[in-house]
Parts: sequence; C-alpha cells; structure tokens
Amino acid sequence: MAATTQHAPPAALPGTAPAPAHRTRKAARRRQLGACGVLMAPFFALLVTVFLIPVGTAVYLSFYGDDHPGLGFGAARTIFVGFRSYTAVLTDPTFLSGLGTVALYCLVYIPLMVIGSLALALLLDSGVVRLRASAQLGLFLPHAVPGIIAALIWLYLYTPGISPVVELFAKADITIDFLGLHTVLPSIVNIALWSNLGYNMVVFYAALQAVPREVIEASVVDGAGPVRTALQVKTPLVRASIVMVAMFTLIWGLQLFTEPMLLSQSSPMISSRFSPSMYIYDAAFTRNNYSLAAAASVVLLLCTIALSYAVTRWTSRLDRTEEAR
Amino acid sequence: MPGRRSRRSVLAAMAALPLTGALSACSGQGATTAGSTSGTTRITFWSALRGSQQVVDAFNRTHDRVQVDFQQIPSGTQGGYAKLSNAARAGNAPDVATIEYPQIPGFAIDGVARDISGMISDTLKAKLLPQALGLTTFQGRTFSVPLDVEPMVMHYRADLFEQYGLHVPRTWDEFAELAHTVRRKAPKRRLALFPTDSLATPFAAYCWQAGAQWFDTSHGAWNVSLADAPTRRVASYWQKLMDEDVVFVNAMDSRQYDAQVADGLVLTRLTGAWDAGAQMKAQPGLKGKWRIAPLPQWDESRPAVGTHGGSTFAVTKDSRHPEAAMEFIEWQVSHPDALRARLSSGASSQYPAVPGLVPVDRKAFDRSYYGGQDIYTLFDQEARKIRDGWVWGPRMTATGKVMQDGFARVSGGQGSLIDAVRAAQDGTMPDLKALGLSTTQHST
Repeated sequence: MAATTQHAPPAALPGTAPAPAHRTRKAARRRQLGACGVLMAPFFALLVTVFLIPVGTAVYLSFYGDDHPGLGFGAARTIFVGFRSYTAVLTDPTFLSGLGTVALYCLVYIPLMVIGSLALALLLDSGVVRLRASAQLGLFLPHAVPGIIAALIWLYLYTPGISPVVELFAKADITIDFLGLHTVLPSIVNIALWSNLGYNMVVFYAALQAVPREVIEASVVDGAGPVRTALQVKTPLVRASIVMVAMFTLIWGLQLFTEPMLLSQSSPMISSRFSPSMYIYDAAFTRNNYSLAAAASVVLLLCTIALSYAVTRWTSRLDRTEEAR
Repeated sequence: MPGRRSRRSVLAAMAALPLTGALSACSGQGATTAGSTSGTTRITFWSALRGSQQVVDAFNRTHDRVQVDFQQIPSGTQGGYAKLSNAARAGNAPDVATIEYPQIPGFAIDGVARDISGMISDTLKAKLLPQALGLTTFQGRTFSVPLDVEPMVMHYRADLFEQYGLHVPRTWDEFAELAHTVRRKAPKRRLALFPTDSLATPFAAYCWQAGAQWFDTSHGAWNVSLADAPTRRVASYWQKLMDEDVVFVNAMDSRQYDAQVADGLVLTRLTGAWDAGAQMKAQPGLKGKWRIAPLPQWDESRPAVGTHGGSTFAVTKDSRHPEAAMEFIEWQVSHPDALRARLSSGASSQYPAVPGLVPVDRKAFDRSYYGGQDIYTLFDQEARKIRDGWVWGPRMTATGKVMQDGFARVSGGQGSLIDAVRAAQDGTMPDLKALGLSTTQHST
C-alpha cells in the first residue's frame, strides 16, 4: 500500500503558471498510474497474502521436512529433503487411486453439468417456459445452500434406515444403497449437480441475453425451428461461456472434498484418502506428515494448472481454425 | 466460480475446528500455570479414560508437593490424538498424556513423548508385565508407562451354547467347525463377527497370536511385512469362514452389531479383556448369560495371544516438570488407591499392566454378570500368554485405516482380506519413507 501511494500526484500549487502541454500530459499519465496503483493495490495485497505466500509455504514445506533417520526415535531435524516427499506421493497407490477417482468423477460430472445447465438456459431463453423468474429462482436456490449443508441434506436422503427415499424404494420392493461400492460416485455427482446446475444456468442465460436479436430473427426468417435455432445459432454464440463453465467446473471437480468427506461418515466405501484433497487432509492431520501433504498439494496444483492450460489452448486453437475457415 | 467460495468457507470451518481445540488447550494451560504456588509443582494431565478425574482427585488429596490439573479430552480417534499433536506442535502439550499402544511409536517419532528410560524406577519396571513394557520400549528406550494391557479372550453366550449343545472351542480348527454347526442348528445366528472397521482391529491381534511380525525394528530399520506367512494364514482362515457365510461381516462400531449382540444373533465376541466390563454397561439385560473362555489357539502346545486395547501414559517433551509427571504416572499405574479411585467411576474389567494389582480388580468386580465366574484368574493366565516382541508401526492409525477401507470393500463384495492387507502395506511405505525413516519391506 505504502509503495503505491508514493505515485499519488502532488497537489497542484496555487498561483503557478499553466504548465506546458507536454508537462500536463506527463502529470495526467502519472495521475493515471497512481490511480491504477491505488485501485490495484488491494488486489495485489490479497493475491500475495492469500495465494502467493500460502503456495510458497507449501512449496517450501514440500522440499524441507523433519528428518527421522534410522528408526526415527532420535532427535528430528528439519532438512532439505529434495524430491523425497514427491517420490513418496507419486509412488503412493492411495494417492494415485484418488487421482483416478477424481478423473472419473470429472468425466461424468463435467459433461452432465455443462449439457444440463446449457439445456436449461436454452429452454428458459426460448420462452417456452412459463413463470420464467420463479423457475430461475427455484433452480438457482440450491446454489445458495452452503456445500456442507447440501452434503448433510443428501446424507440424510442417502443413509439407509433414516432416508425417506430409500424407504419409499423399499416399499416398491427395490433395494437401493446410495452409498454402496458402485453407487457412491454417482451419489456425489448428484449432490454437485444439484448444487451448481442453477448457478451455471444463470451464467449461460446471461450470455444468451447478449445474443443479438437480429441474428435470431434472421435464423427464424431463414426457416430454422426453435431446436435448430437453439443448437446451431445460439449455442455457438455462447461458446466462450461454455469454455469458462467447463473450466471452472473442472477446477472445482479436481478439488473434490466436502461431499465425500461428509459422506464418509456414513459410508465405509469412501476411504479416508478418497480424493487428492482428502489425501492431503489425511496426510496433514491423521499422519502428521506435513511435508507429504504439501507435496501432494503441489502435485494437485500442477495437475490443475496443466489441465486448465490444456483446455485454454485447445479452445483457442479451435477458435483459430474456425477463423481460418 | 460455482461452489468455490462455499468450498473455501467449508475448509475454513474445518480448519477452525482443530484450531479451537488448540486454543482452548493454550488457555487451559495458561490458567493452570498461573495458579501454581511456590513449593508445589503443578502438572497437567490429559486423558479420555473414564475415572481419570477420580484418580486425580485421590492423588491431589494424598500429595502435597505435586498437584495435578486434569482435563478430559475426546478419545484418540475422536480427535484426542489430533489435539495432542496440535498442542505439541504449538509447544504446550500437557505434562502427562494418554496414548494407546498402537500410537506410541508415532508419538515417539514425532517427538511428543519423551524418552523416560532414565526416569522410570527399577521397582516400577519390576512390577510391570514384561510384555506390556516391551510394547512401549524401542531400541532399549522406553517412551511411556502401561496402565493396562488387554489379552484377547473369547466372550461367549453360555445359555445359547447349552441350548444348542455346543462345546467351547479350544483351537481355531474347532472354532471353524463350530461356526458351521451354529449355522446349521440356528440359520439366523452366527458364531462370530469379522469386524470391518474396528478400533485397533482384532485382526491385528489374531495375526499377532499366529506369530506375525508386521513391523520389526531388530535390524535398525523398520521392516514392514504386513502380509507375512502367519498373517496370510489368518487372512485365508477368516476369508474361508466369510465365503462360507458362517460369520457376520460388518462394522463393530455400528447399530447393526449392537443389535446382533442384543438379540443373541452372534454367539461369541472375540475382544480384549476390557470388553467384559463394557458389555455389562452396554447390555445390562443379558446378565448371567455370558461367560469368558480363552481365545482359541493354533497350536495348543505353544499357546499365545495378542492384545486388543489398553492405554499408556507418556511424559511429553514439552513438560517442564518431568520428574513430577513421572511421580504421578508411577502412582497412577501401580498404587492400589489409584486403581480403587478409577474403579469407583463404574464397572471395569481392565487387566492392569501391574499384575500385582489384580486382587484389587478382582475384589471390585461384580461377578454376577458372568454367573459368578472368576474372570480375573482367566485374565491372569491369558496375560502371561501374550506373545512378546510384537511392534506397532510408526503410523498405525493410518495403516489401520487403509486396511479397514479394504475390509469394508471386501464386505461389499470386492477383493479379499489379504488384498486389503497388501494395500495397507503399499499405503504405508510412502508415508514412512517421506518421514525419512530407514525402511525395508517384505511382501511374502
């Protein structure tokens, strides 16, 4: 903060002659820079304190750790351990299976989320739906429920013995275990969909509002039906939003934590190292292995960055080929 | 950015939980040190054990020089161990902490428990059951003092055994045969449960009995061999019983299991000696129906058992008064008054690590639940059979968790017991290596 205020323009002294043109330009430039600095300062202050410093600490922790030579009963000392923690994480089958779980989760969740929310937004935009405002509100409402409460609600609905849903199925002679070996992942996808579908729908809906009406009118005049208009005219025009939603959903999916953490209370099928984030939590707080937890965090961060970059690159290449056409 | 903010707030809430624990720990200790007066040494003591307050009161009444401030904390897996670790990291662990056997190596390596080899008196050493002291001693260094040690025994429903004309099995072969007989005579009942969760897994105790050595420190490195020959034998034995559907396979810490015991669906409980007292409290209605017998043996000519449960007391590295802490611990584990005070809080069938205290336990124990059976004579015999040389691992909670996760999947129809054991080994090695420990491993 202090550094940036230095750039603040000096107050004009009264009685001085009007400055030459190039000096006023210079002063205006400096003022602009100063304003820039003041306005950006909070952002950079936060970036440094809540992002760069924690990330730096994690990287530091992953390379330096308590060393317990031999059987480990002697005095421990903090030393540079190099890639030891990374080797441990990357050879840990429980971490790799966590990555596998999250990959599977993303493969199921992202398409369902993007297609589902886009379809809902297109429906609302087409004007087919009556009571558009209340429909929007109803769909958006779950997003206002904090993730932990959502997981609790669903935990109630999933747990055999207390769930009215399971009981209803049982009355119809269908035994269903939402928290079984093969059903637990779909159950988590379901919670995430319920929470976030409405939010992404609003994003798409807002993007659709920006589509010029003339384009749509033109397509209608050209004889496109409502379905064709939606799929071949509107959808390509909101591609930027689709990419953004897909990317955020991906980032969020990779950090899967709250839902499985809570569901693990009542399902033995969710292990304590179910997802990479749960692995990190377990490494830090059950195994007291901060170096390992830090290394796993950095690996997860790198995976996230790499995947986000890949998505961006891929879509920009698509854009370029489209332009070339 | 859907959900991102909500995720953060959840994380913040979760992070805050252990924090508040640590904070209250700080304030707790601050208050006690402020209250110290010259002449008396004040020490703090954390425990989740029932009756600890009574023991502390009795100690404070009879001692002037040392006074103890007691704080009841949640049991280890319920957050007690996390609380202790956090406090130690912050440099304000209590003087005396309660640690169960499987967690001792971990707390010793992390530098929470102090090496008390030089402080533990020879008289106390001589009083303790050697196998119990062996479990708290590594490389000749002792890290905590055992309070109780709990040999595995077989609790059984005498009334149902009589009703179906069953004999108490003495070997595991007889036990397997009996399991089939029970299934045949009473299709809804089973002889036993194979627990898929379980606090300090009876499975480890079965392997211990059979001669397994999951962890070995005798060659200066942690040799990990979870799937050694005795373990494979135990795993295939229980796997067979499970495949033949002659035992229940579910969690022990569950309503399902409570119902299985309450309704007489399960005829035996294979647990530590302490469970006799726990059973009296949990199922008062079954008074007179249970008896206790030795755990079945693999080889009757060379009897052995493992243990299930039991606690120890450690002096922490943070302690500023280790001698006073040691004095309190010694009194607590070996003085009859301490035991009487503990037992005054309710029925207990603990087996003391100082066998000289057994008469106190025997006198206090109400035998009517077990039809007048003198269970302490049995415990005495069984405690002497505890196989010496068992070593728990450096990250036993985590190792056990991975194994349980595997067991849970077995009960869901995926994989086998030995797969779960191997997975536990694979999930443990990276952890130990990341700590910098010297390790070797054997997968056969």
